[in-house]
Parts: sequence; C-alpha cells; structure tokens
Amino acid sequence: MRMSLIKWSSLVSLILFLSVSSVAQAGVAVIAHPNNPLAGITQEQLARIYLGKTSEFPNGAPVTALDLREGSVTRTKFYKSITDKNEADLKAYWSRLLFTGKAQPPKEMNDDEAVKDWVSKNPDALGYVDGKSLDKSVKVLLILP
Amino acid sequence: MKKWLVRALATGICLSAGDVYAVQGITLNGFLTAGATYSGTQVTPGGGKVSQDGDITNNVGFSNDSRLGIQISAKVNPKVDVTGQLLARGRAANYNMKADWAFVTYHVNDPLAIRAGKVKLTTFLISDYIEVGYAYPWIRPPQEVYSANPISTINGVDMMLRLNLGDATFLFQPYYGTSQGSQALVPQEAFVLFPSASRPPAGSVVYADFSADRMVGVNMSLGTDVFTVRAGYLQTLVSAPAFQVKEDNVKFSSVGGTLDWHNVVLYGEYFQREIGGFANFAFPNQKGFYTTVGYRIGKFLPNVTYAKLDKNVQAGEVGKSLQQASTTLGLRYELGTGAALKLEAQQIKPEKGTRGLLIGVPDNNKAMVYGVAIDVVF
Repeated sequence: MRMSLIKWSSLVSLILFLSVSSVAQAGVAVIAHPNNPLAGITQEQLARIYLGKTSEFPNGAPVTALDLREGSVTRTKFYKSITDKNEADLKAYWSRLLFTGKAQPPKEMNDDEAVKDWVSKNPDALGYVDGKSLDKSVKVLLILP
Repeated sequence: MKKWLVRALATGICLSAGDVYAVQGITLNGFLTAGATYSGTQVTPGGGKVSQDGDITNNVGFSNDSRLGIQISAKVNPKVDVTGQLLARGRAANYNMKADWAFVTYHVNDPLAIRAGKVKLTTFLISDYIEVGYAYPWIRPPQEVYSANPISTINGVDMMLRLNLGDATFLFQPYYGTSQGSQALVPQEAFVLFPSASRPPAGSVVYADFSADRMVGVNMSLGTDVFTVRAGYLQTLVSAPAFQVKEDNVKFSSVGGTLDWHNVVLYGEYFQREIGGFANFAFPNQKGFYTTVGYRIGKFLPNVTYAKLDKNVQAGEVGKSLQQASTTLGLRYELGTGAALKLEAQQIKPEKGTRGLLIGVPDNNKAMVYGVAIDVVF
C-alpha cells in the first residue's frame, strides 16, 4: 500500500516534471540552470542546502542557493514545505550560523525575474519561483504544492 | 570616490587588489543590543556598584549589555573566505571598537574547514555567538556558567569537521592558540595579590590583565533542527605579570544541551575549572550549572532560569571560591523579524558567606537585578 503510494506520487511528479517545460504551474517551482545534470531534487535535499548544512548539490557539484525577499508569499510557501521553522525561527537560526562565520544565508533576489535571470546564467545556481513565472530559460527540479 | 573606497576596503580585507570577484563577494551584516539595567539592592556601603565588575549599579545604567557588532565577510575564491567582526561595547573595561574576530577560512572540502586568525573560543553552547543577543532567549547568558571563562577569543587555528549522520550533524572542532584578557578582581578578597598598604577600598574594581598561552582544546557537538548536545575540554597556561602569576595550569571542561521542540525551549549546561598556583587567587576552582525552561506562545517566549555557582576541588586551593544561586524570570517578545524585546527580573543569592558574583555581600543576602533590552540583527 505504502509502496504503491510512493510509486503513484513519483509518477505524478514525473508527469508534472514532463509538463512544466511547456505549461505554467501553480505552486512553487524549484529551478536550476538548463545544463544542470540533476533529474530532480527532494525536499530533504533542499532543506540541507537552504539551511546551510551543505554547499553542494546531491551529486557533489557546488551550489549557490537563491532566496526571494523576506515577506514574499512564494518564499513563505517554499520554506513551509521544506522545514518546520517559521520566519522568526529562521532568522534566529541564520544569525547563529552567520555571526559564527559558519555559513552565509542564500543570496537574496528582488523577484522571480531576477531569480530566473541569475539561474539561467549560472550553472551552479539553485532557486525557486512562483510556478506561474516559469519559462524555458531554466530547468525545473521539483514542483512544491 | 565611493567605488574607490569599496575597492580599497576590499583590498584591505582580501589582499587582492582589483579582484572584481572579491568585491562582488563582500557581505556586510550587523547586530545590536541596547539594554538597560537597574538594581535596587544596596551592596556596597552608601550604594553604587552591584555586580562584581561594577557595570550593574543602583542607578539605571546602559553600559552592561549594550553593544554593536559589524561583520564583514568576503569570498576570495570558492575555497577561501575572510570574516572580520568589529565590536563596540558599553562596558567600562572595553568600550573601544575592537576587532573581535578576524580570520581566514579554508574550505578543504564540504565537511572540513580550517580557520586561522582571531577566532571565537567555543567553551559553551552559545559562546561563538555570545555577543548576538537576538540568537538566544536571555538578556545575558547565565553568569554562574558564562562568567567562568573570561576569554572569548583566541589567536590561533581551529579545524571544523562537520559530518552528517542522518538528520543530525556531528561537529568535531579542535583548536590551538593564545589569548589575552582582563579579569575583574575585588581587591579586598584577593589579599595576597594586594599588600595591605596598597589595597584599594571596598567597592573598588581592579582589572588584572592576563595571558593564556599554549591553549589546546576541543569542542564537539551533535545537533539536529530540534536539539544540540555538546562537550568541550581545554587546558592552558595563564600568566599575569603584574601579579607575579607565571604559567599556572588551567583545566576547563563543560557539557550542555539545548532543545527547541514545538513550543518548548530548554537549555542546560555544566562546567568545572581547576586552576593551580598563584593564579588560583584570581581564578579559584569553581563549578556551576544552569537550567532554562521556556514556552513559546505566539510571539512571546516566557522563560525561567535557575543557576548555581559552587566550589570545586579544594585540594591546593589558595583563593576563595565564590558561591551563589540565582533565579531569573524572563520574557522575550518578537518585534517582527530580526528584532526582539526582552525583559528580565533576577534574584541573586550569594551563599556560604561569599559575595557570589556581586561586588559585596548585600543586606538580607539577596539582590534584585532588572533588565530590559532590544536585540536586532541586520
């Protein structure tokens, strides 16, 4: 039962994945450079990167993660689906890493356009945008509901 | 003009003039605490100083907790980055802006980094962000434990090995270096260090400049998003030339843990230190612990802390161990993201006839200290 559920969900995400290149999506799209060799990424892997626990993609390549501005609806949705922490928790969490020189928070971008622009030009980039702003300049790694 | 300034700054930090990548990679962050303290308890004859370093008094004062920090980080290349932190604090002993940290990090690979320069010394859970009030629940971390180590930075080298074990991260951090510091002494107590002819009167504070050499230690922690446990050990040789203290042995160990689970926030730590020779007059053998329990209700985090400072092994003790217990009621309130307001009321009870961490023994053997602070990160 559990197995089949996983199979179904991967089938659904595969369909989503195949369809996103042509159709705009609701939800939050996790995006990378078109030449990024990864076929996809999991929420756990995203959490590791976005909480500063690793500076590498799951395949070992270096990653530069991008954030949208604080208070952005897409940003709130994104963090809600990868971690339990709320915005104040995240701020305190990052102040611990930042002011101990352990890690830098993701680079903050103004809007979806700026994220897509950066991601389309940098092979090590990882970002997220509102599914409605997707276009062919970037590769979709995951759609978060 | 401005571009020239940025370039000059980048050159100074990165030692790489004209390196455009380094200029782009510079980030600037800061933190600030604006705090006020007050105690209504008379501890010295005629009133005045209350805490042993004299920064908390019978008047509303702004010096004890207030500070400003600016951090500059620059990525020199994908493997090397540079971090500097400038700190200005309101306290009497060190009010000048100073470089609290300045180190270069070499990322050998994802789990391993080596840092060299002036780095924070991690003797306790929050030691390496002790100046960043926003990052913890109290106005000041429990002094029964945190004042036990008067050194907060070392000049030297450390290694940070971070291994992922499932959901948890294990940190192994050995370090080696030297440090200098200043310890507040209550002179009428350290009588051997002050001959009666030159002994300052009760209520005075004298700072002893000391150095700690050949310091070697290790900090280990295991943590997830929910909990962190840590343990640490260090040994060093302490000297204070003005007081004929030369290379006396210091051993310091500590364990602690913290939990942030649903709305429950817990902290607990324990330390013990042993200091030999003449230095024991200024730094007696001590041990101590604290426990903090908090419960988050929306933007509020009411919390209570019980802390105790006690004597440690008495063999070879020439100084006088200090003993006290304190209970603190605190309230943290989130002022949006990146700012918090804190209120605290603390009752301090010196024990066994000692003055505890106060400058003298108060009437009725207890003192109240109140604090309010705003912490900001930017």
